[in-house]
Amino acid sequence: MKIRKFAALVLLMGILVISIAPLSAQDEPVTMTMWVRSISFSVQTLVDEWNATHDNQIELTEVPSGEFVTKLGAAVAAGEAPDIASIDLIYTPAFASAGQLTDLTEFVNQLAYVDDLSPAHMTLGEFEGRNYAVPFAAEGSFLIYNVDLFEQAGLDPENPPTTWTEVLDAARAISALGDDIYGYYFAGNCAGCNAFTFLPFIWASGGDVLSSDFSEPTLEEDPMVREALQLYRTMWEEGLIPEGASVDGGENFVNAFASGTIGMAGTGAFGIDNYKTNYPELNFDVTYIPGKDGGTASFGGGDNIGIPAGSPYVEEAWEFIEWALSDDVQLELYAGNNQLPVRLSLAENEYFEEDPRLSLAASTLSVGHTPYSLVYNDLFNDANGPWLLMLQVAIFDGDLDGAVAEAQQRFSEIMGG
Amino acid sequence: MTTTNTLQQNESGLSPQQMRHMRNALLLGLRYIALIVLALLFLFPIVWSALNSLKPPAEALAVPPTYFPTQIVLDNYIELTTFGRVGVMQHVWNSAIVSLLTVVGTIILSTLGGYGFARFHFRGKNLLFIMVLSTLMIPFQSILIPLFVMLSNIDLHNSLFGLALVYITFQLPFGIFLMRNSFLAVPQEIEESALLDGCTSISVLYRMMLRLVLPGVVTVAIYAFINSWNEFLAALIFMTNQNNFTLPIFLTNVRSGLYGIIDWGALQAGVVVSIIPSLVIFLLLQRYYMNGLMGGAVKS
Amino acid sequence: MTASLSLQRLSWEQRRKLTGILFVLPTVLFVSVFFIIPLLMTFTMSFFDWPLFGDHTFIGLDNYTSLTTDRQFLKSIEFTARYTLLVTPPIFILGFILASLVRHSIPGIGIFRTIFFMPVVIGLGVSSLLWVWLLNDQVGIINKIMLDLGIVEKAQLFMARPDSAMAVIIVSVVWKTVGFTMILLLAGLQAIPDELYESAEVDGAGYFHKLRFITLPLMRRTIALALILSVIGSVLSFDQFYIMTGGGPRNSTISVVYWIFNNSFTYFKMGYGAAMSIVLLVILVLLSAVQFYLLRDNT
Repeated sequence: MKIRKFAALVLLMGILVISIAPLSAQDEPVTMTMWVRSISFSVQTLVDEWNATHDNQIELTEVPSGEFVTKLGAAVAAGEAPDIASIDLIYTPAFASAGQLTDLTEFVNQLAYVDDLSPAHMTLGEFEGRNYAVPFAAEGSFLIYNVDLFEQAGLDPENPPTTWTEVLDAARAISALGDDIYGYYFAGNCAGCNAFTFLPFIWASGGDVLSSDFSEPTLEEDPMVREALQLYRTMWEEGLIPEGASVDGGENFVNAFASGTIGMAGTGAFGIDNYKTNYPELNFDVTYIPGKDGGTASFGGGDNIGIPAGSPYVEEAWEFIEWALSDDVQLELYAGNNQLPVRLSLAENEYFEEDPRLSLAASTLSVGHTPYSLVYNDLFNDANGPWLLMLQVAIFDGDLDGAVAEAQQRFSEIMGG
Repeated sequence: MTTTNTLQQNESGLSPQQMRHMRNALLLGLRYIALIVLALLFLFPIVWSALNSLKPPAEALAVPPTYFPTQIVLDNYIELTTFGRVGVMQHVWNSAIVSLLTVVGTIILSTLGGYGFARFHFRGKNLLFIMVLSTLMIPFQSILIPLFVMLSNIDLHNSLFGLALVYITFQLPFGIFLMRNSFLAVPQEIEESALLDGCTSISVLYRMMLRLVLPGVVTVAIYAFINSWNEFLAALIFMTNQNNFTLPIFLTNVRSGLYGIIDWGALQAGVVVSIIPSLVIFLLLQRYYMNGLMGGAVKS
Repeated sequence: MTASLSLQRLSWEQRRKLTGILFVLPTVLFVSVFFIIPLLMTFTMSFFDWPLFGDHTFIGLDNYTSLTTDRQFLKSIEFTARYTLLVTPPIFILGFILASLVRHSIPGIGIFRTIFFMPVVIGLGVSSLLWVWLLNDQVGIINKIMLDLGIVEKAQLFMARPDSAMAVIIVSVVWKTVGFTMILLLAGLQAIPDELYESAEVDGAGYFHKLRFITLPLMRRTIALALILSVIGSVLSFDQFYIMTGGGPRNSTISVVYWIFNNSFTYFKMGYGAAMSIVLLVILVLLSAVQFYLLRDNT
């Protein structure tokens, strides 16, 4: 109730702002603040372009990803929130439900291409039927593989694995190439990385970790959770994954694959961009994350953009958002910079034609899943949370049943409040 | 004189005294060997971090690492000046501002308070003194949550000034204790005569007493500086705006890496940058630092 | 005007009193606002459901009852206690050895004292970052040395196992803090009159005899102080775990302060964090009571 009242108030304020907009438009140009977490997409480029072509200016602050939620929450609590925030999409439900974001429903409904926006992002941007955020940066997870190692191992790089058995066989064949060569890699001490790259293994096989209404965990009852853990466990036990993976909090991930000694790994479009730019010699290709016996899935990740509650520049901020979603910006500044457009119909574009790897990455958005949870952070992203603990105990220690049971209990506790 | 005499006597032959001398010399030699080995072990982390920071950036990332830089360059330091959003200098500045505010605030409050507690008598004085000192027993870690809420409410959260206010409070118990003892050590007659001459209390404090308790002031200042320059947890919690990060918090950012790569050379350069000020102050003024520590140890 | 008039009417005694109060007033204000009030607030908040944003609601003792079933909290208490028990002896023993070595004024001894004490003035956060590099399996110099000396066959992942993570953290913390203990003990050692040792030597007492019957008894209070300070520091530790292990592996190195930090500023359950802070406070007050007992004057 309180939230609705608050939302109504915000809406009212929004309308007030709109109604006086013609007046304020003649006033001095405003300077808005914007926060973005450190993502590979150069938001600065986007903002520079906006600032060069508009009177209202934007001042961009990049907040380290790991601290973004805490910092934004604290800033809103302290009344120091920015006017625009690009938020890891999984946190939008939490922020919207706490009344931290401005209701954008009226604005969103006016968009001609509202059905064309990435569905995972839009779902996460909704709370109790209202829109609080729209897509800003899109990321889908997929497998990246080293073409040279595939060839050396006698595998066909044109036909990458489509089942778990094929993943395992490929990893074994590649690991057999040498002592320092490994079939697979994942950052074993990074909670968020593995929500992104490991959950799709479960989804692609028809399993899930949360019930379909997102109300309770299904870790213990869904057999695919254990099966997927077993796949990783087998690769770990057989030494197909380098030992260093167990302590990698995400810092060594890029280095590891870039070194050319890793056969396969889960990644996102940011990976393609990074390897193309910084490791031009690396010969790699990408494919969908497979299910146990086929099928594919992807984690719909990236950022939603919203206007934190209390911003005096709602109308001005929305202008920027609408501009960012426009055809020109999506094509020239997104696709042109190896960034996935957030609108499905723009996945096929002249820039991506040159690189089919990016087309595949863009196409994962249509099979993107994202868990909707107000406590996503505590469940999946917390370095000391139950998700990472389950992975580590199951994969590195081999106690699958214990790991899953413990996680099921912790998930229930956290979701139950 | 006696030692030289003994020595001369012992040159003639083997005496128990000579034996003892030989044994003592041997023990002394062993003592030096132990000291040197331990000193090398203690120096090793700092020295190698400094060496690593002087390697060319690519070499600092090499696997396995090189022992010594193949060439000595300042590239890592230069890189650090543009690291993150505002570069290292802004964070050095932030740390410096917070530390200086803390030092100045702590000195003023401890001097005034120490003087008040040492030289004046009023009802409730002992109670207030115990109140101030009892905060030593309560860890600041246990009041960080309400401090965070409070500072947010009065708009001092995420402000370097607010952080300094908190640091001053943490420094006060030690400062008051030490300054009170310093004032008590000054003979009462000196200031009484001045007071009889008609000087006000504050001018007595400023004109005469301050010079006499200067060593105490220096000690308080060093502790305030080093503690606030190094503090981690409160700064981590209170500073939400990256521009306001103090040096240690900034360094954890460098460490968490950018797009999956840690710039180890820049990290070690940052470590060196944050070590230097406290080390220099300690080396220059260690007499005062040690005195504060040893005085406290023997008295308490 | 009236104020200054009445001020003049005050006697010299009364003016002295007033001046004294004015001198201590700033300190009292600071301590009240930034210490006493937050302390009382911690207590109050512990009875509330207090999220970072949104309203807070009174929930009585719920936070405290939740504590008893919070397995990670209990694990953190156990871990913190174990860490304290493991890190204190090396700090103390090495501190004592160092103090004994630097006790006498032999040439150059000041340099050695300075070197052993130097790490103390480096922040624990920064020293932890330094050790993160030293201990890294890829670029760290320690693994390089051990490989070259043939002590290990392949680079060690110190942070991959709870016991090795604990071991290397202890090494780093001992390096960082032992100088402090050394100086405290040095002060105690130097306070013992040399004549006592000399007369004991005349009686033919050996090193351990002197240690047992002169050094240790006379240093009881200094030793107690050094121990207590080191124990309290260990109970409150956070930086080294936050930076070096992130609480891992398998959440095995989450200290109590770390868990309070997580609950308050990651999960935004500040009321719950406050309840844990109160528990921590009680533990610390008990430790302080032990301190007073050990430092009591009964000699």
